[in-house]
Amino acid sequence: MKIMNCPLNGPRNISEFVWGGEVKPMPDPASVDDRTWAAWLFLENNEAGVVREWWCHVPTSFWFIAERNTVTDEILRTYAAGDVFNTRVEFAPKAAENK
Amino acid sequence: MSTIAPVSLKRRSFIYRLLAAEGAQFGEINGGAVPLHFGAGREVELAAARRLALADLSVLPHVGFKGKGTVEWLTAQGLTIGPDSNKAYRQAGGELAARLAPTEIFLIDSLAGTGALIGRLGSAWKWAESAPRPAQGYPTPRQDSHAWFMVAGEFAPEMFAKICGVDLRRDRFAEGAIAQTSMAKMSAIVIRADRQGRDGRVNAAYHVLADIASAEYLWSCLMDAAAEFDGRPVGLLALQDLEQ
Repeated sequence: MKIMNCPLNGPRNISEFVWGGEVKPMPDPASVDDRTWAAWLFLENNEAGVVREWWCHVPTSFWFIAERNTVTDEILRTYAAGDVFNTRVEFAPKAAENK
Repeated sequence: MSTIAPVSLKRRSFIYRLLAAEGAQFGEINGGAVPLHFGAGREVELAAARRLALADLSVLPHVGFKGKGTVEWLTAQGLTIGPDSNKAYRQAGGELAARLAPTEIFLIDSLAGTGALIGRLGSAWKWAESAPRPAQGYPTPRQDSHAWFMVAGEFAPEMFAKICGVDLRRDRFAEGAIAQTSMAKMSAIVIRADRQGRDGRVNAAYHVLADIASAEYLWSCLMDAAAEFDGRPVGLLALQDLEQ
């Protein structure tokens, strides 16, 4: 079986993991329009080549980031999300819209 | 502890019917119905505990603590917890504090099952009345979320090899090591916790913690996997006797 290296738990069978989408920079939630926000949430670039993706180790619910070559399906490296997302993001309430 | 009917107590294992069908005789520990022995004779169960045995400890006290400041709070309460995650730290009363992640502890009682430490922590933990609240983590109820089995005996690693992808052999999976992994296609926590026998021999033993709603399924899988090695269920008394 294919093996993935979980940053918390070490090398494990790939069946213990689920894919969580590409890592994309979040648009500013206070100023973004709905279309861009929805695109960020739901649309994947689906690139051929090396991409950064969210993966979850299901037995521990541990989310981390993997760099993977989508052409060869090689997993190049994995690391904790905290290595990248190390500052707190405040979600200020969006100004009320008049409908 | 005399034999009791498990239905006479409100707290009993999810799999007590399976255990009763296999000949379990129950006694009361800490208000719960615990399978003490299986009626095959003490020597038979002791021999099984050395070779390959399954025991259901689900009724014994177990609890979790989680969140920022958890380890610091537990340390202030007198627990000894080391820095490594996926490692279980033995406490003075024989309890195991399993560090599942930097800020998550799964605490299981000793096989005496008195619940002394867990009870004390339960009364000591209080949410601060007003902000700013200190980072002290919070208790997570595990008693009714996780089934707790013990797999003991020298053939345990070989049995696990049939249902688990992680190498749990004793030269690869150190004493106190934790694997949070898939067992019989279920998510499970495996903790190696060898038992020092009174004859001086060290008996291999592993705790298995998994979703209690699937306890019957996992118990059946373990029994099925153990059959090849003549594994059999044993009661708590056999496990306790090994080291008294």
